[in-house]
Amino acid sequence: MKEVVLRSEKINKHFGITHAVKDVTLEFYRGEIHGLIGENGSGKSTYCSMLSGIHSITSGRFLLEGQELNIKSLVEANLHGISIVVQEMGTLSGLTVAENIFLGREDKFMHGFIKDTALMNKETQQLLDSYGLKRINASTVIDNYSFEDRKLIEIVKATYFEPLVVTIDETTTALSQNGREELFAIINRLKESNKTVIFISHDLSEVLAHTDRISVLRDGELVKTVNSNEVDADDLKRLMVGRELDKRYYRTDYDGRVSEEVVLKVTDLRVPDEFEHISFELHKGEILGVGGLSECGMHELGKAIFGGSYDRTGIVQLPQKNAYINTIPEAIRHGIAYTSKDRDNESVVLANTIGDNITLPSLDLLANKRVLRKKKLQAFAQEHADRMSVRMTGIKQYVFDLSGGNKQKVVLARWLGRNSDILIFDSPTRGIDVKVKADIYALMSELKDQGKSIIMISEEILELIGMSDRILIMKNGQINGSFMRNEALGEEDLIAKMV
Amino acid sequence: MTRTDEQSIYRWRKMEELLRQLMPYIGFVVLVVVFSILTNGRIVQPRNLNLMLSQVYVLMLASLGVFMIMTVGGLDFSQGSILGLTSIVFAWVSQYGIVLGIIAAMISGALMGAFNGFFHVKFRIASFIVTICTMYLFRGLCEYLTTHGPIPASFQVVALDETWLKVLLTSVVIMIGFLVFHFTRLGYDLRAIGAGEIAARFSGSRPELTTFLVYTVAGMITGFASFINVIKVGSITGTAGSQLETQILIALVLGGMPISGGAKARFSNIIIGSLTYSILEKSLPMVFPVSATQQLVKGIVFLVVVALTIDRKSLRVIK
Repeated sequence: MKEVVLRSEKINKHFGITHAVKDVTLEFYRGEIHGLIGENGSGKSTYCSMLSGIHSITSGRFLLEGQELNIKSLVEANLHGISIVVQEMGTLSGLTVAENIFLGREDKFMHGFIKDTALMNKETQQLLDSYGLKRINASTVIDNYSFEDRKLIEIVKATYFEPLVVTIDETTTALSQNGREELFAIINRLKESNKTVIFISHDLSEVLAHTDRISVLRDGELVKTVNSNEVDADDLKRLMVGRELDKRYYRTDYDGRVSEEVVLKVTDLRVPDEFEHISFELHKGEILGVGGLSECGMHELGKAIFGGSYDRTGIVQLPQKNAYINTIPEAIRHGIAYTSKDRDNESVVLANTIGDNITLPSLDLLANKRVLRKKKLQAFAQEHADRMSVRMTGIKQYVFDLSGGNKQKVVLARWLGRNSDILIFDSPTRGIDVKVKADIYALMSELKDQGKSIIMISEEILELIGMSDRILIMKNGQINGSFMRNEALGEEDLIAKMV
Repeated sequence: MTRTDEQSIYRWRKMEELLRQLMPYIGFVVLVVVFSILTNGRIVQPRNLNLMLSQVYVLMLASLGVFMIMTVGGLDFSQGSILGLTSIVFAWVSQYGIVLGIIAAMISGALMGAFNGFFHVKFRIASFIVTICTMYLFRGLCEYLTTHGPIPASFQVVALDETWLKVLLTSVVIMIGFLVFHFTRLGYDLRAIGAGEIAARFSGSRPELTTFLVYTVAGMITGFASFINVIKVGSITGTAGSQLETQILIALVLGGMPISGGAKARFSNIIIGSLTYSILEKSLPMVFPVSATQQLVKGIVFLVVVALTIDRKSLRVIK
């Protein structure tokens, strides 16, 4: 039997009348990787926030090595040996990697008022190297590193003071494929040194592959804790949703044939430092998957087709309409929709209402001789929000209140409202729970049946294989491989072309 | 979180929001009551009310332009200087016809606004920096042009000093502004750009063009306001319109305008704000005869109102 390092006893959390966490009693063993999963709003993040002192506990207690914890802040949690890597970016721009890692803990390097920067850099570099992150330089300003790298630096920071329990919350800002390997290397290293890792993620296959045990939460309650090697993804989905999921998660047909009709023709498209010589055709009713590593240029490609890049060269043509796309308004007018990977900044106006967000791209269609009527706009927004079954109190609710999945539904609602014929979906299911994911896949199939064409840019290989009629794999800014829909297509085939 | 819980949080937010929107009206009533008591009812006498309203027209008109600028997330400190310069243009050209004068003032105002917009949009300089620079630039021009003494307006212009005309002209312009803000694409674009410029761009709005247009229109409206200004003052000195920029800012904030703009901007902010400000401006001398005390009280009132009404959650850097 393993040794219990952390125990929660009947933990409850109320936000006003909200009962976010209900009587959760859980045990974490020393040296285990413990997955924590559940749909959006199931209470997993709140649970960990209480553990690390971000939220107060309404009732119940945490016991760390048998001692009751009484933590009121993140700093206190750190002192007790509990650290958390939160969903939001936790690094400060303008500071070096070393300064970020030792932020607030510089004492060690202070000689009176003088800081021994060289020593701090040296120590940081040793730390980074020991995690296999040799490519990260301790004295470089953190802004020079990608989102992924900064996330890894954050994790290194969280582990520096030898915590007993590390929580990694991965639900909204997921790392890309290449960053993940390093993430799991770090997690495994923590496990080897007998630390406990609590890993929160939406990616079930990953949770299964890398954890020892998994606890499933639903509506604030602990449903079950299972051993990872005794269950599969379908079991977990059942536990999360509480009922049998539709078996048809991805498409079940393997017919990749599409119409001969070309709706979009991209010729020699180029954005400096991002990608070059990209040419392809998109057919009517086709789902074209575009995959690759996070930095292969595919995300910029989607933006560029939509007219959203500043220094693009090449041609984006709609042969049937004999139209060319150079700017976003042109793209929208000719029936192109775009959902960005960076949902909060580029896809929705967070500080605006659901209603205004849904109507914004369609204002020109809703105007009658340039006059817009509030009633008409509201009816339009309501109709499309309902069609996507956005969970909201009303269309006047602000978007920043919504969960990731619901935001994405608003994004989709606005483009469905516009009745776009060509939809560019960049990472459509990023950070979204199982149920909404299934909804989005079903919607994509429905759109395909209606004769709409979809370009799906994704870092999730299974999603690409599961949904696409054709897959283009990009590497270093160029198309490196192309696959037709086919039952025998496996992950390895795609990965081989990506790296 | 369950659905009912989300709803309860939302209801609470909605109450908070309602209170925030009602604040300007409550403030207006409180101010009127307090000053009525302090002045033994003198401020509500017809003569004083008239005096109070005599300055509200220019303020309200110029606030309309700045309101739009603030909605897209900017600020403008140059409107006072624009008013000064366009007043001079109007005084000159109105010798050849009053309508011609108005048109010339509007065109010159639009050019000055476009100058602001160009530097802000093209060179990506924060709007308050651009407009502080042009505040001095236009003011300098204004003083240069009046070196040989104030510029008088023609007698026909001064003869137009009728309350009904000023009310009519102001109402018409405000009404046009209202219709544009609520019933055209521009109004929706302004709010969306203010709330999130990047997302607005990806929704088909044209942030650069719209922002440039808004600065131009703001200058044009102030150019129009210069007509009413000249009617009132008769002759233009080098300091004509000075302090207007801060008056506008205070008026809008008193009216409930979120200082960072965006979706929470309400058209009523302009009207209630400029009325509240005019009352404050005219009542203070009756209560505090010393001008230093007036400045002090104004500063305190402004700070308190901003502190009370500012939306800390969605506060971002002003562009």
